[in-house]
Amino acid sequence: MTATLEQHDTATTTNVVAEEPWRTIVWDDPVNLMTYVSYVFRSYFGYPREEAERLMLRVHTEGRAVVATGNREAMERHVQAMHGYGLQATVSRAET
Amino acid sequence: MIVAGRSGGEGVRIVLEAEEAMLLSELADQVDSVLLLGEADDPALGRLLPNAYTDDASSSREFARYTRDSLVDGKRQAAQRVRDATAVEDGDDTVVQIELDQSEAWGWLTFLTDLRLILAERVGIIEEGDDAADETRDDYLRAAYEWAGFVQGSMLEVLDPTDS
Repeated sequence: MTATLEQHDTATTTNVVAEEPWRTIVWDDPVNLMTYVSYVFRSYFGYPREEAERLMLRVHTEGRAVVATGNREAMERHVQAMHGYGLQATVSRAET
Repeated sequence: MIVAGRSGGEGVRIVLEAEEAMLLSELADQVDSVLLLGEADDPALGRLLPNAYTDDASSSREFARYTRDSLVDGKRQAAQRVRDATAVEDGDDTVVQIELDQSEAWGWLTFLTDLRLILAERVGIIEEGDDAADETRDDYLRAAYEWAGFVQGSMLEVLDPTDS
């Protein structure tokens, strides 16, 4: 029973990591206006206003925020788009 | 400068004094030049085209190899459009009226961002609210930086009005 449970847990964890192993991170910079960053998040990712502002504030107060997760190719596309908007963004592998 | 909504349509209307238009045109031309001629180690270019990986130089280079041309093209195009829209004939003293639809407005917003990133690098804006180390040489750039932020903020108020 115990063994079965442990196996189940491991499998679940592995699945989550396998599905969304990469992240798009946007970093704070002293230049971009908060209203601009939030507008970019809404327009590009299609986040509702509240979510976009929550992410923007997280970037502002914590220095960075994960704005998307998914496969590497998709994350690179997002980062390219963010660079197009003038935001500082990076791709990184999700921490396990 | 006046930034207002467009009558009966999405987008934004910008009215610039001839002097402001000339300044913006000149700045847009400079942004275009930085993108065209910028040395690889120009820190301003580093702000416009940052590394995509913080801890993986080879992936960063690969990413740059595939994306750089198209990013530079997009940014140059935005700068050139602003430059052309704000071009004023010598001796022409009238105001310049510019109408932008949603997509054209995005071009302006991203240009203004790139412009501010370059100016910030040139005057050494590292920390928010850091006003130390102001040199006379930097006053013009700093004023342009503040003004570009004001234009962008005004555009956003029209394009993305909040309830408050």
